[in-house]
Amino acid sequence: MTRVFGDPVEVWTSDGRPVRFVWRGRLYTVRRVLEHWVATRDWWREPPPAADVPGEREFWRVEATPERETGVYELRRDAATGSWLLSRLWD
Amino acid sequence: MHLHVASAYSLRYGVAQPRALAERAAGLGMETLALTDRDGLYGAVRHVRACRDAGIRPVLGADLALDYDGDPAGTPEEGRVVVLATGRTGWTSLCRLVTAAHAARRTDVGPGATGERGRRPAVRRELVGTHSAGLVVLLGPASDVGRAVAARRPDLAARRLAAWRETAEPVLEIVDHQDRGDGHRAARMLALARETGVPAVLGNAVRYLEAADHPVAQVLDVTRRLVPLDRRHLDDRTGHAYLKSEAEMRRVAELGCGAAEADALVAATRRLAERCALDPVRDLGMDRVHLPDAGDDPHARLAARCAGGLARRGLDRSGAAADRLADELAVIARKGLAAYFLTVADAAELVRSRGIRCAVRGSGAGSLVNHLIGISDLDPLRHGLLMERFLADSRPGLPDIDLDVESARRLEAYRLLFDRFGAESTACVSMMETYRARSAIRDVGNAVGLPPSEIDVIAKAFPHVRAEQIRAALHDLPELRQSNLAQERLEVLFRIAERLDGLPRHIALHPCGVLLSNPTLPDRTPLEPSAAGFPMSQFDKDDVEAMGLLKLDVIGVRMQSAMAHTVAEVARVEGERIALEDVPRDDAATFELIRTSRTLGCFQIESPGQRELIGRLQPRDLDDLVIDISLFRPGPVGSDMVTPYLESRAGRREPDYPHPDLAGALRESLGIVVFHEQVLRVVAIMTGCGLSQAEAARRSLAGAKGQAVVGAWFRTRALARGYGAAVVERVWRTLAAFGAFGFCKAHAASFALPTYQSAWLKRHHTAAFFAGVLTHDPGMYPKRVILDDARHFGVPILPLDVNRSAVDWHVEPVSAGGPVSAAPPIPEPEPMPEPMPAPPVLPPVPPDQDAASGAWGASAYGIRVALNEVKGITDAEAGRIVAERPYRSLSDFWRRARVSRPIAERLVLAGGFDALYQPGPGGGGPAPRRDLLCRVGALDRATARPGRGVGEGQLPLGDETGDVLGAGIVEEIRPGELPPMTPSEMVEAELEVLGLDVSRHVLTFYGGLLRGLGAVRARDLADRPGGGEVLVAGVKVATQTPAVRSGQRVIFATLDDATGPVDLAFFESVQERCAAIVFGSWLLVARGRVRRAGARAVSITATACWDLPALEEERRRGGIEAVRRLMARPGPGGEGGGTGRRVVHATGFATSPYADIGHAGDTARRPPARLWHASGGSSGPTEPR
Repeated sequence: MTRVFGDPVEVWTSDGRPVRFVWRGRLYTVRRVLEHWVATRDWWREPPPAADVPGEREFWRVEATPERETGVYELRRDAATGSWLLSRLWD
Repeated sequence: MHLHVASAYSLRYGVAQPRALAERAAGLGMETLALTDRDGLYGAVRHVRACRDAGIRPVLGADLALDYDGDPAGTPEEGRVVVLATGRTGWTSLCRLVTAAHAARRTDVGPGATGERGRRPAVRRELVGTHSAGLVVLLGPASDVGRAVAARRPDLAARRLAAWRETAEPVLEIVDHQDRGDGHRAARMLALARETGVPAVLGNAVRYLEAADHPVAQVLDVTRRLVPLDRRHLDDRTGHAYLKSEAEMRRVAELGCGAAEADALVAATRRLAERCALDPVRDLGMDRVHLPDAGDDPHARLAARCAGGLARRGLDRSGAAADRLADELAVIARKGLAAYFLTVADAAELVRSRGIRCAVRGSGAGSLVNHLIGISDLDPLRHGLLMERFLADSRPGLPDIDLDVESARRLEAYRLLFDRFGAESTACVSMMETYRARSAIRDVGNAVGLPPSEIDVIAKAFPHVRAEQIRAALHDLPELRQSNLAQERLEVLFRIAERLDGLPRHIALHPCGVLLSNPTLPDRTPLEPSAAGFPMSQFDKDDVEAMGLLKLDVIGVRMQSAMAHTVAEVARVEGERIALEDVPRDDAATFELIRTSRTLGCFQIESPGQRELIGRLQPRDLDDLVIDISLFRPGPVGSDMVTPYLESRAGRREPDYPHPDLAGALRESLGIVVFHEQVLRVVAIMTGCGLSQAEAARRSLAGAKGQAVVGAWFRTRALARGYGAAVVERVWRTLAAFGAFGFCKAHAASFALPTYQSAWLKRHHTAAFFAGVLTHDPGMYPKRVILDDARHFGVPILPLDVNRSAVDWHVEPVSAGGPVSAAPPIPEPEPMPEPMPAPPVLPPVPPDQDAASGAWGASAYGIRVALNEVKGITDAEAGRIVAERPYRSLSDFWRRARVSRPIAERLVLAGGFDALYQPGPGGGGPAPRRDLLCRVGALDRATARPGRGVGEGQLPLGDETGDVLGAGIVEEIRPGELPPMTPSEMVEAELEVLGLDVSRHVLTFYGGLLRGLGAVRARDLADRPGGGEVLVAGVKVATQTPAVRSGQRVIFATLDDATGPVDLAFFESVQERCAAIVFGSWLLVARGRVRRAGARAVSITATACWDLPALEEERRRGGIEAVRRLMARPGPGGEGGGTGRRVVHATGFATSPYADIGHAGDTARRPPARLWHASGGSSGPTEPR
């Protein structure tokens, strides 16, 4: 089933792609990148940002595994801040 | 290497200007760049020129919508393909395909196609097939093939691709904007290409220059769809539709398709771009002029016509004329333009042959050839006009001849030209309307979801500035500083709106350009039908010139129509036939009128500034008018030439020539430089370079760089010829200050003629002149000002009358209109009698004293309010009203004139039935407009009721005898049951319906207040001493912010107070407290000092102003003392502030960035919807008293 989260995660990348992340204290290893896309922010809903450039959000949908069972995880990176979130997961 | 690029010329889609794209592409090291705008080639010529300047090669194409082809599996919405041209054949095919796409604007649409898409130009595959020679069809994600791939229908995709291969040369375009699914789709598109052997290239469907521009594209996405911003309405969700470098393109391709394929795609893209690169000369024909076919040896025929012209114009014995003609013909021969002159002569003759008034304007009047072959009526030798300003070896491009025709018959003239030169060879020119502050605020406001009423208020608060000036204007302008708009919540609105600056938003018919060419025209320009139905080039006036197409400007001039109407009215009523061209040009009475500055309605000399200048200059002949028109320009004003000229003219000082050699060139203007022609002569005399070279130098004066070059050259040459350093320096300073401003004398001379003619008509056929001016509205003032001027000239205003009013304003002998001669003298400024009955005919102001004293006597003719003035009336309704006359009653009218209910009501309210229902002469009491209004409602209900059988020819309203409505079917409304309208209600109704205060001047209702305050009337101002403080009041009829010498933004406002115009100047020092009121109020009170500018010319330097209804409100609350207290209160802001910056031109002439723009708020041309209700609960002004 799909679950939606907004938890901050710590992500290690290689060549821009996520390879490992830590969520709720567990380490996940990325096995495969299923999909990668970007989206602009909904700048018209947000309070006036300081910069003229609203910046984009980057999504990585990956197969990752903490131990044996594999799940699909969607990681979101905010280009303006460089911060990562776990936005959804399918298990 | 980009093959799919939309510029801003993809309306409401692309963000970047072609020039910016070409510069960026060159900066990224690309060697080619395509422009493939949506639905047209609007930006193509700009792109070619921008690429040339950037040193890269242009590719041209178009992004065309696919028509729904009935395929049930297809997606009818927004399927698109890009067609690219290869070589000259491809360019021809592209032009013709785009034209065909517009001709085939789909009307029957598939499911889901609604609104916007219902009327879009579109192509079917077969149509592309008929124009496929030299075209390459790019099939990207938006194509029918791409959509099938995205929908995971490989079978359908393959079938569609096969169909394209049979039709044209397809190439698959791999695009990845990194949206969800883009990568997978790109990989599958590439796989399809590899399976089928169809070539594939990389594209980025570019919409903007850099990623940060995406909010603008997103606003355009929702604006195009008329929806608010929301992700589901966006085409651009990733911000990746920017002009990426080749390396970035390759990296994206590698992500989806692998490194080897990425390299192959880049290489294929480059190869296709190379193949499609167009040569402006060889492929587009931009090196040559494509004139109409003028038959064999046009030059010999032109020379022969000129020789004939010499005899016809009586110049065959003039050596000067012979020399000049030889010179001009030699230039024409060198430039190969004989066919051009023959064509224009043909066109002018054609237009005149249909009795359309037609005059040449501009530099063309300087050419003797134009005079001899009948294009221009002015003899350039007699008026000292030069050919070089018009045509010289040193002038690039085609010369420019403009024809002024009657505005009302401009389209008729177009039709004549289309018939004569052939539909294949003729087209109108287009122009792009671009985003400015107000339109940008409206579209962005809608996109971010502000309520429409708030958007309207915000947009109207801005003057007509550029969108990029929005936040600067908020900061600079006092009327905006006080508007409370500089809020954080509106910041994003303004910031995005500024970025729409200059983007095209709408294509329109250029107001005057007509292309005359040969049957290859459709190979050279795409055409689309204009709103008026004429074929219209997608190129604008600069583009067509670059493409070597001959554009003739046929300019609709309202004054020409007004004069034609005047002449027709004189012929209709008096039987006198006036040939304006033959009227003697030295009529003393006409110049006497001009010297009084009472020139409202006259061509060119009615503005406040011009009336003041005329008052000082006191013109005595046509040459004076030529000078007057030329002096009233930024150049002479900027280099301070007006005062020295006027002083020399008044004999207060000797004309001062910088050097005796220049006396000949400058004598006509007493030593100052006014005309372009004089600049040419001065430069030619002092450098010995000849007039052609001098013209090239004059054109360079406009820019700072050109000025420096010309300055050095001029000094060197003049010093070498022995002119003293001081003289050279002085002359150069004058020339530099003159810059590119100033006026072409040929132009001024061709303007002075209609100026004189209009003044002649005003003087000698006053009533007919006002009928002409009111019908065609040629000037800057609202019609109610002209109407008031007519009153001052003793012309009675005959009210709206369904039995007498014509479609347009007509002249009527006053005896037929009622007892005009018995009109009571006006009591004002003495107290008015208590509410008085509306007189049947209404000249409440007596003729002015000059008029009454017999200068030109009270008019024997009145002017009758036109049906066309009734708000919302259609031509058909007005025509039917006239055709079905006379009417015996309202119900008779209702039955036969068949106008809509609102129009019938407005006719009643504006007094159109008063004459029918007027109690007999002397019977007293106004017409029962309120009763009649109820009857309109009753008639409407009766005739709308089904089953009551109000058919054609039946007379169910039982109203044969006149006044009384039949009983039974129509509800009975007894006359006199409702109170009559008061005079103020009548005026309010007239202003609402007609925009004109016909029965009396709106200011009469404030007599009590104005007397209490001691306001001075316009006609008494001339007797006031200069410098004295006065209070004035009136209806605002014009506001202007012209460029003035100091570079301030000075607001000039003109009030009309029933005795004439009052001209006010608000300098920056008072604008903090005045600007908002000046722009926001319709009725104004102002305090200021009298400034005397001449014998009769008076203006007011304003120091304060107030809203008149607000003061009246205060008076009724607390009496005149309360008003005085209110006026003594200091206004907002106080002194200072100003309007900030100055723009300093290369000539040293400074202007305000807010000069010469439309002002904030509504236009002054019509009264506002709510007139005198300053606040809620006000019951309107008191009765005239």
